[in-house]
Amino acid sequence: MNFEKVVFAFFIILALSLNFSFFVGDLAEPAHHHVLELAAALVVSLICTIMKFGDRTQFGSTVLASSLVVDLLLIAAAITWGVASQSHGGLTTSTMATITSLAGGALAANLLSVILLIIETSQIRK
Amino acid sequence: MSDIFFLVLRRLRTPLILLISVYAIATLGMTLIPGVTPDGEPWRMSFFHAFYFVSFMGSTIGFGEIPYEFTDAQRAWVLVCIYTSVISWLYGIGSMLRLLQDDTFRNAVSQRAFELSIKRIHKPFYIICGYGSTGRLITQGLAELDLKSVIIDQDSDRTHMIELEDMRTAPVVLTADVTEPQNLIAAGINHEHCKGIIAVTQNDHTNLKIAVASKLVNPSVPVICRSEVEDEADNMASFGTDAIINPYTTFGRRLNLLSQNPELHRIHDWFINQHSAIDIDSTVSQHGLPSGKWIICGYGRFGKAVREHAQDSNIEIVVVDIDPIANNAPSGTIVGRGTEAKTLIEAGIEDAVVVVAASDDDANNLSILITAQQLNPKLTTIGRVSKEANHQLFKHAKCDYIMRRNQIVASEVLTTISRPLVVKFLQYSSSLSPEDTEVLVKQICRVAHNEDPITWRLVIDEKNAPAIVRFLNTERSFKVGDVISNPRFPNSDSILLLLWRDGMSHLLPTNDMQIKLGDELLFCGRRNETLFAQHLRDNIELVDTLINNNPHEIPLLRWLRRRKHI
Repeated sequence: MNFEKVVFAFFIILALSLNFSFFVGDLAEPAHHHVLELAAALVVSLICTIMKFGDRTQFGSTVLASSLVVDLLLIAAAITWGVASQSHGGLTTSTMATITSLAGGALAANLLSVILLIIETSQIRK
Repeated sequence: MSDIFFLVLRRLRTPLILLISVYAIATLGMTLIPGVTPDGEPWRMSFFHAFYFVSFMGSTIGFGEIPYEFTDAQRAWVLVCIYTSVISWLYGIGSMLRLLQDDTFRNAVSQRAFELSIKRIHKPFYIICGYGSTGRLITQGLAELDLKSVIIDQDSDRTHMIELEDMRTAPVVLTADVTEPQNLIAAGINHEHCKGIIAVTQNDHTNLKIAVASKLVNPSVPVICRSEVEDEADNMASFGTDAIINPYTTFGRRLNLLSQNPELHRIHDWFINQHSAIDIDSTVSQHGLPSGKWIICGYGRFGKAVREHAQDSNIEIVVVDIDPIANNAPSGTIVGRGTEAKTLIEAGIEDAVVVVAASDDDANNLSILITAQQLNPKLTTIGRVSKEANHQLFKHAKCDYIMRRNQIVASEVLTTISRPLVVKFLQYSSSLSPEDTEVLVKQICRVAHNEDPITWRLVIDEKNAPAIVRFLNTERSFKVGDVISNPRFPNSDSILLLLWRDGMSHLLPTNDMQIKLGDELLFCGRRNETLFAQHLRDNIELVDTLINNNPHEIPLLRWLRRRKHI
């Protein structure tokens, strides 16, 4: 058992789980989506990206690419949230819907990362 | 590029993860710890404000406590955050600086820079393996000819020296082991502009390895090798090395030529050493080496080569060697170094005509030369220099002919690669009779004004001689006599040494021979003077006026007349 691999798999799956827990609920309902979950998902996803830095295998680069996509979408969601919460109208349902759907897109990419991780693991010869 | 990029990312993984974690925890803490507004109402920082505060706290520690003054609990948390974020920044910057000094990283960067500069070469270049004195001379010679060179040498001290040299065309340098084929590939052996590989390391076996590797990787690229040992040279020749240069046999051959046919030797000497000083006394070069008794001190590779090449002539050779049996010296060898008068007298210095100081020790050679000259002032002396730096001492010792290994190899290499017509001319020139050679030498002396002449090659094609080609296209006859001289350019006279046409060479063509499209001409003329043919090749007006007999001085009239003809 490789400790580094465990840590990496942990972070990738954690990113997916946090992302999902933020996403789940009514799309446009601010009460269903907590800002802490978004922040945690973003931080974990950033750490995932950095952990995959420097891996030159084909799998490694695809995982890096998909986790870059996650970062991009979650940062976009976080900026939207930050701007919306500081503006006069506050957080409306329509901006909430935008934020949640961005997180949904990130979820798809996160899912892909986990699938790639599973394929890579299954390819290791016993 | 990707190598360096990934290396940086890999090394910076830990500091980056640390930074992100510290920032995330600090931001989270700021949002969780309750604060109070000035009105006394409870208040919590939003993520936006918390991230803003942590960002400037980490880098500057301070625009104050915003948007409201902090509570004690918040201050305590900020205190923790300040120290952790500063430490993680220091760690991150430290890792970055360490990475910049890391050997792996620097190698990756210099490797990348080298690959880029090879890729950017858009003109012919040569790969030179080994940057000793020979490699240096060749690089300088190539730079003068405006040819690029790629140098591979293992010794970083030597390769760093190259940066200090002032050359017209800066060489590309790789510090690496030449015997590893991937370094040859990196140096561009498969590059479309690679003209050849020159293996001039000190070690024959290394040169052999280079030759084998390059012939296997890219057989179409010519390989020129330096070799000082016979069997290595045979080995190199066996798989198609294009030119093998052995300084000892080359010099032996020159000595033989100098004693048999000094005029021809003089021609060889001029044309091969065009870009370097000639280390031969002018009287010896004009009159040749006398026949009679020659004393060779030191019977190593050089001594053997001299004896071998002098054998078929009427020269009596006496060998002086410290260890005749080990060196396989001929019978009758005098035992000794030759540095002391006793041995030289025993060898018969009084009635000898030539002494060759051929040992591999410069101090001994100098001692031999000085002692021999004291015993017999009329001697002609030939000395071998091993270390380039001692060359001046041999000049002071009044040595008539100095054998410089590096110089010989460099001149031969440069002649082989850059002056193909000169090589052909020298090959065919041995068929000239001594009388013809004498006449030729006199002619060369006349056009070169008794200085060392220079050769120049002209290809009659659209690129190199547009004016002449244009004239030839009008179906008019153009003779050798038309290009070699003209009274209007008194100092630009030249001699046409060779005319190369359809794989046939015409040695010293006569003045009424026709010049045709595609001919290659080898001129010989005065150094630092533009030859008449050089004036002529791209000057349409000049061709028109001098060859076409169109003397109109007024451009308009000349133009009208030319129109009528073309």
